[in-house]
Amino acid sequence: MIRAFKLEWLKIRNYKVFWILLGMYLLALVVISSFGVFFLEWLKAKGADFEGIDPTILPIYDFPDIWQNTTYLASFIKVLLGFIVIISINNDQSYLTMRQNVIDGISKREFLLSKLSLILFLGFVSTTFLFAAGLINGSIYSHVQGTTYIFDELEFLAAYFYDIVVFCTLAFLLTILIKKTGFVIIALTLYSLMFEPILGLFLEYQPQIQDTYWPKLLPYLPIKSLNNLIPVPFPRYFFQEIVDDVPMSAVAISTGWLSFYLGSIYFLLSRRDLK
Amino acid sequence: MGLTLEVKDLSKNFGKIKAVQGLNLSIESGQVYGLLGPNGSGKTTTLGMLLDVVAPTSGSYSWFGGKSNVESRKQIGAILETPCFYPYLTAVQNLRISAHIKEVSNDRIEATLDQVGLLERKNDKFKTYSLGMKQRLSIAAALIADPPVLILDEPTNGLDPQGIAEIRRLITDIAAQGKTIVLASHLLDEVQKVCTDFCVLRNGVKLHEGPVQDILGETNTVEIAAEDNSKLSDTLKDFNGQKKRYEENGSIFMELEDSFSSTDVNAFCFEKGITLHKLITQTNSLEQEFLKILKEND
Repeated sequence: MIRAFKLEWLKIRNYKVFWILLGMYLLALVVISSFGVFFLEWLKAKGADFEGIDPTILPIYDFPDIWQNTTYLASFIKVLLGFIVIISINNDQSYLTMRQNVIDGISKREFLLSKLSLILFLGFVSTTFLFAAGLINGSIYSHVQGTTYIFDELEFLAAYFYDIVVFCTLAFLLTILIKKTGFVIIALTLYSLMFEPILGLFLEYQPQIQDTYWPKLLPYLPIKSLNNLIPVPFPRYFFQEIVDDVPMSAVAISTGWLSFYLGSIYFLLSRRDLK
Repeated sequence: MGLTLEVKDLSKNFGKIKAVQGLNLSIESGQVYGLLGPNGSGKTTTLGMLLDVVAPTSGSYSWFGGKSNVESRKQIGAILETPCFYPYLTAVQNLRISAHIKEVSNDRIEATLDQVGLLERKNDKFKTYSLGMKQRLSIAAALIADPPVLILDEPTNGLDPQGIAEIRRLITDIAAQGKTIVLASHLLDEVQKVCTDFCVLRNGVKLHEGPVQDILGETNTVEIAAEDNSKLSDTLKDFNGQKKRYEENGSIFMELEDSFSSTDVNAFCFEKGITLHKLITQTNSLEQEFLKILKEND
């Protein structure tokens, strides 16, 4: 795996586009994880009130809830990491360097591993970054301190990491299938941010099918299963409804999808003539 | 002298098109093997299969007497058609990737770039290179591991005459080190100058195979010229040992019968009081032979 990552590292180390995109993504992470306070202030200024509760006193940055809150929000911009993966893989396809790499002496499996190592790297960087941002924000705003609180519920960071890995592997598969950067980016964005969520709403709320077995399929959809890894944290503040575990069913379904993506990529790559 | 490559009954179909059909080859170590054929004759497809980027429809091949393909490729320097590199990386950065894949150290990068004459541009990005420089960088990448086998597919494509001469010298130098080279080209002059053996492919079928030496050598046609060619031509009518005589480009070409040679022609003209200023025995070229092979198999 180290050898596989070294190959990828040699490709990205001096690739400006990669670092600019990653920088922009990390900047977006900072914004998402740190501007909650200002968002609540904004809500207050707009006159929002929740049954007489001043929004600014909502303890969104309290340990350990902060982990679920920030990973939930950060998960929305994982599509940007998907773009980085798409560009990186498509470069190797359009420059014919994937072919040259194989000619020079790697197997297609090693190529797959090198891209997987890139995905793991991106997941690791994002998670570490979010962890650091959480520590800083928490130490400023949290009403409770101390290691028992800080290191509780870190499983949400693990879920966030896994979310990124599975999502980027989907991006990998789409790039191998579609081959055109622009198309893949549009397809991935539309599907994950629009088509599947709308399909989800339809399945859940369409009166005619509400009593059929269709809504039961919802948790099995590729994006929905990833989104289910980190349950929506905010109801706890309004309805005292607390879901603060990573649901194992979502982990199992996502793992199913991950195996499907990797298997398909391997199948496609090993059958494909690289010309 | 071991067997470097053995190909058995290799075929590849692209849909209905039969790109390569039942190809058998064996290449010994130290051979410089020319793969000839018109455009679209299956040369690149064949090399693609031997390098694992095109899956054969049927048949098999083995490198170095049965070593695994991935390990074998690390000991083969290969370029297939166009140079493929990361445009945003410099020559050195690109070669680091090749060296990493081939599991060799980066120490040879500078020397290899020097060998192909790119040392001065080593820190320039690949996208700023001219076609000739790109082609030379791909040769550098093929040489990076100092491999015992080189596969070169049209290595002089897109080069100017000077570039072609340089690459040819490079290939001859490499061949002199005892390396095995497989050279696919339609530049026959090239193959004739550097190859020891060759085969001719057309529509994926091997038409001919053999040492280059066998088809070269002298023919029994002489090219002669004198001050006054029409007088020479008249005189030559009386020369006995000729099969055929024709004029072309200010010279007279005469095909001789087997028992005659250029010496007899010279002596004959001397007797008749004509001084020749040109007397050349024609040699076969690979080009003539290649065209002949294609024609015979029409």
